[in-house]
Amino acid sequence: MPQILKRKIPSLKVLAALAAAAILLPSVAHAYIGPGAGFAFLTSFLVLFATFFLAFIFFLTWPIRFAIKKIKHRGKGIKSDVDRVIVVGFDGLDPDILEDLMSKQKLPNIAGLIERGSFKRMRSTCPPISPVAWSSFSTGVNPGKHNIFDFLAPERETYLSKLSSADIRPPTRWLPLGKYRLPLNKPSYRPLRKSKPFWTVLSENEIFSSVIRVPITFPPDEFGGVLLSSLCVPDLRGTQGSFSYFTTDEVAIGNFTGGFAYGLKSRNGAFEGEITGPENIMVKGSPALKLAFKIVPDEDGKTAGLTIGKETVRLEPGTHSPWVTLEFSPGLGIKVRGICRFILKSLKPHVELYATPINIDPEKPAMPISHPFYYSVYLSKLIGPYATLGLAEDTWALNERIIDESQFLEQAFLINEERERMLFNELDKVKKGAVVCVFDITDRVQHMLWRYIDPEHPANRDMETELHKNAIEELYQKADDIVGRVLSYVGDRTVLVVMSDHGFKSFRRGVNLNSWLKKEGYLFLESGDEGGEWFEGVDWTRTKAYALGLGGVFINVKGRESKGIVDPADVPNLVMELKDLLNGLEDDKTGETAIKTAYDAKEVYSGPYVVEGPDLIIGYNAGHRASWDGVTGKVTGEVFTDNTRAWSGDHCIDPECVPAVLISNRKITADNPSIQDVAPSILRLFGVGVPPYMDGKAVIE
Amino acid sequence: MFGGGKIKIEKALLERAKKCADLAGYSSVDEFITHLIEKELSKLEGGGGGDEEIKERLKGLGYI
Repeated sequence: MPQILKRKIPSLKVLAALAAAAILLPSVAHAYIGPGAGFAFLTSFLVLFATFFLAFIFFLTWPIRFAIKKIKHRGKGIKSDVDRVIVVGFDGLDPDILEDLMSKQKLPNIAGLIERGSFKRMRSTCPPISPVAWSSFSTGVNPGKHNIFDFLAPERETYLSKLSSADIRPPTRWLPLGKYRLPLNKPSYRPLRKSKPFWTVLSENEIFSSVIRVPITFPPDEFGGVLLSSLCVPDLRGTQGSFSYFTTDEVAIGNFTGGFAYGLKSRNGAFEGEITGPENIMVKGSPALKLAFKIVPDEDGKTAGLTIGKETVRLEPGTHSPWVTLEFSPGLGIKVRGICRFILKSLKPHVELYATPINIDPEKPAMPISHPFYYSVYLSKLIGPYATLGLAEDTWALNERIIDESQFLEQAFLINEERERMLFNELDKVKKGAVVCVFDITDRVQHMLWRYIDPEHPANRDMETELHKNAIEELYQKADDIVGRVLSYVGDRTVLVVMSDHGFKSFRRGVNLNSWLKKEGYLFLESGDEGGEWFEGVDWTRTKAYALGLGGVFINVKGRESKGIVDPADVPNLVMELKDLLNGLEDDKTGETAIKTAYDAKEVYSGPYVVEGPDLIIGYNAGHRASWDGVTGKVTGEVFTDNTRAWSGDHCIDPECVPAVLISNRKITADNPSIQDVAPSILRLFGVGVPPYMDGKAVIE
Repeated sequence: MFGGGKIKIEKALLERAKKCADLAGYSSVDEFITHLIEKELSKLEGGGGGDEEIKERLKGLGYI
């Protein structure tokens, strides 16, 4: 081959690749980055263009779509005396605390609503955990039909745990282009919550719903309404929320469970660092994307300026900054946007800076967090940046004392303000249909500040116990205030439902079920008395059962688990044997009953997904819960331990100990309603037939 | 999620599938067939990521 032609061939290749890149630009926009979670990043241009284009098409085609729908649904004859159903959910609102505060006249709006309507204690799911309970709320079915049994689900092949709610996979085909590789297909986002939420059933009957932050709505459902996703939406790094802690104190740069620590460099009176973003898997080796920032202390020695990219924000000591936009550049002109808040912890003797987990920027979302996808953009244009992370309140930062209780409360209330603005915007706009909004603050604050109302709590040792004694009371008053404002939107043709998914109790003692299984001869280690996280060191060739998640025990079944040893025919007897041993299990130190009831999953669940769930569900007694190390599959020498973390309240216990709350301005006809009854109730209020697969019954008239 | 393809299925088989879906407690025949495909694919493909990836995704989950 002539030399000149040889030299030209590579440039032709490059040209061809560039041409292919131009054609594939939409795929590039959905490129995958991040540690396994997978991110479709949408460029600013694409988002803006698509948003306006789709809004325009939506507007333009409305008369045609309206006519088609009218023809399609003619004769359905839905008649109802209800125009609007408003559901205000307060995660973890506890009926005991509610009644106590009402008896002290501290919740006038809720008390007034109950006086005119009804209030019942509501049965939660087994286990009474938010993803499980809210999934039963939205679908009207038991977990055996919606497939969410816990936060975690087992990987039967590896014995690891995965998130139970979403399956995210990266693109599978790539085109090499110089130092980059371009995705040829989109990442896959699949919800693992099955069955059908009531808002989809409503939309099939031409009734609009606005659904804001109901847990386990990520990835978002497609239906005739709008939805903003909640629980299990990851941060930009693909985790469930990892904070960053920056410091000039090298000693403080340790390992954190819920975040990462980084050093700061001093230069000319300023302090420089890098905030770590998602991995860039468009580049070989998938290096993490980083963004440099600089802290310049002010002359007062208390405040400072923080500069990231073109943005500079003032940092006041000990308090949250406004949301700051972080724009990462993986290459080829693509931008990936996140938002976070900072707290300047100190400037002397060491500079210390806390950054919240990097939330996906709702204005330019890196993955689908709403339906339609431009709904999150619309909300951000309306109310400004807002938290998008599933568990947005940074509980780990408080557990690990990177922030204190006051800062945690400030963060939780800032997020709550955003949520309130979203709800009242929808109430202003949606005159017909369902408006559903869940507030998380009630759950998070009770988790983190319960010790203040439990003087005997082990987490109070050597800790301040007075400062936030009224925090939980004030929290319920906040909920009451929201209900009061919502009541001004409630007329004769509006039904209001105020509810929770479970109650709350103290979490004083942890129970490591894997350690108990080892002690009783059902679980074995390869050597020694202690294993590592995620069942490291477990001898599966001898292990008959293992505990995973917050309430599940699984039998190591031959043919189901990769190293299963229990014959499927022997499973019922083994379940019965374990059930008998675990029922009423006593805490060997305190003498208290640690486990109220162990439930045989086959007796509690029904439906096509029962096989995906645990074999036993553990109903811990109030005061006990699965221990921190037991949940992550670590076998230790101790079964019962004190819980000394700030996370001092919990609800992952026996459902009978933590009933939920159901309040309505209408009559609740059942004495002992279940959370599964809410969806059928809403359908019937709108005059829509309750599908036969639903387990719940309509209980609101 | 975000659109989907269509597959052809024999009418008589679809009718049988519908009956089974109702009996089993699925919300629709689509959900039933999707579940069957998912079960088979999980056997053939395995999980959705390496060990470290799976652990990383759970980082920051308050409950654990």
